[in-house]
Amino acid sequence: MTDRRGRQAFAVQLADLLLVQLANWRWGWRSMVVLGMAAPLLSITMLGILIGDSGVLALEYVLVGNVVLALMFENQNKVSSNFAYMQAKGTLRFVATLPVYKSALILATVVAFLLLALPAVVVTIVAGSRILDVALAPSPWVLLVVPLCAIPLASIGALVGSIARTPEEAGSLSLLLTLLLLSLGPVLVPPERLPEALNVAGYASPATYAASALRQVLLGPVSGRLALDLSVLAGLSVVVLWFVERRLRWRVN
Amino acid sequence: MEHELTGQVLRGEHDIVYELRDVVMVYPGQNERANDGISLDIHRGEIFGILGDNGAGKTTLVRQMVNLLQPTSGSIRLFGRHVADDPLGVTTRVGFMPQDGAVLDSLTVDELLFVTAHLRGASRDGARRERDRLIELWDLTAVRRRPCRHISGGQLRLAQLALATATAPPVVILDEPTANLDPQRRRLVWKNLRQLNRDQGTTVIFITHDAVEAEKIIERVAILRAGRVVAIGVPASLKRVVDRQVRLELETGAEDPPALGTGFRFRRLPTGRWLALVGKDQLPEVLQRLDLERYDDFRIYSCTLEDLYLHYAERAGD
Repeated sequence: MTDRRGRQAFAVQLADLLLVQLANWRWGWRSMVVLGMAAPLLSITMLGILIGDSGVLALEYVLVGNVVLALMFENQNKVSSNFAYMQAKGTLRFVATLPVYKSALILATVVAFLLLALPAVVVTIVAGSRILDVALAPSPWVLLVVPLCAIPLASIGALVGSIARTPEEAGSLSLLLTLLLLSLGPVLVPPERLPEALNVAGYASPATYAASALRQVLLGPVSGRLALDLSVLAGLSVVVLWFVERRLRWRVN
Repeated sequence: MEHELTGQVLRGEHDIVYELRDVVMVYPGQNERANDGISLDIHRGEIFGILGDNGAGKTTLVRQMVNLLQPTSGSIRLFGRHVADDPLGVTTRVGFMPQDGAVLDSLTVDELLFVTAHLRGASRDGARRERDRLIELWDLTAVRRRPCRHISGGQLRLAQLALATATAPPVVILDEPTANLDPQRRRLVWKNLRQLNRDQGTTVIFITHDAVEAEKIIERVAILRAGRVVAIGVPASLKRVVDRQVRLELETGAEDPPALGTGFRFRRLPTGRWLALVGKDQLPEVLQRLDLERYDDFRIYSCTLEDLYLHYAERAGD
């Protein structure tokens, strides 16, 4: 599996680095319970009380919006903090002295945090639907949609983590982006209740497409809109990952 | 001024592992040169030490050698190829131990050694064998199942050494390999490095402040000051410059340097002792003047590599 100069094949590197990043479970599970599960469930409960009489559609937006929130906390913010930490601590320099592709590290990190986010996503969907009394109608497409929603958000996190000068800066920036992306477009709130400007701005937010895709595959019905959502999310993933690969400070200068 | 004393070592061009020419490094936003025109060759199978005070540019130099920094100007070749053009050649041929304790610290020592050996090209079985060998060699058995972030600084240093030497790359570059280690572990480090060099022909390049102990294994040394190489060569040859001197160490509770008359320049050692390099011909006079009652302890012995470093450092500072 090694090339003639002693470097493992890309897939082997990816598997090794994926396991390395999955080991973050040892330290990350507490924050996953607090941020990835408790925060969306609290938000669901509070918003459910506030808009309980606003109809099923509003409750569905609350449920799916909070699934997006869980993905943002567990993917975007965690990946951002992971890259910022690796840069600050010098871990990135250590990896740079090994015969590995930078892209393998980036992809392994994004995939690892997607896997680590799944418990929070599942708990938010199942418990949230019970709390709000929203009926789930999951489609098999969910298996494709959840990764395609998570990867662009994680890629944005990787970008934030790679351009931030300190982990603190990365944390603040990522949190700000989370709030901004949740506010733009019909993520937590149905479009009819949003000002037109926010609906228009929502077209530029990946959270809008993620929420739209998740609504279709979790609550139904799946429409032609899903193809657009997935295309945008997939395209965004490729573009942002490419940019991160170029931007990540593998070397000190 | 640079001194090149190669002693008895004769080597051919094909034996050159690293070839540095006029390496200049200026960090972005700074005016001072961290490295200022460094040129040197490091030969296959030698143990090469880099000495220098804090800020001399040692870490900057080795980071450029492993391609973590790009020189502002000049060239660095590894086995004849520019390191910037051949990043894979560097990562597959050079094991590097950075000065900071940066490793993948969410892993246990076992996991980290396995994954490093595997990423360096070993098979899964080979990586397991390499892990077990390194655990024993570097005395890490007691902490092998503990996460790296939960082991002591000294244990982490040994784990880093194990990582740098995993899969026996032809070159290892170590930035302060014995920093923060107790005497027993320092001995283990020097023993293992010498063994690695002798048994596998590994070229060992290291930065150290521990010049006295490193002298036991160093074959050639470069002394850096203010970003420049002020001396390079075989320690025995370099030491001829100072072999007419002896090292006089005095221990006293006083804050002021000992007064032995003009011409004796004392410097305070980290141990609190006062050190002066004294000409052998001056020794009788010094002993006559030395009021032993005033000092808790005194020692006189021949010059070490550390004195050599101090000698060049002082000359360059004049």
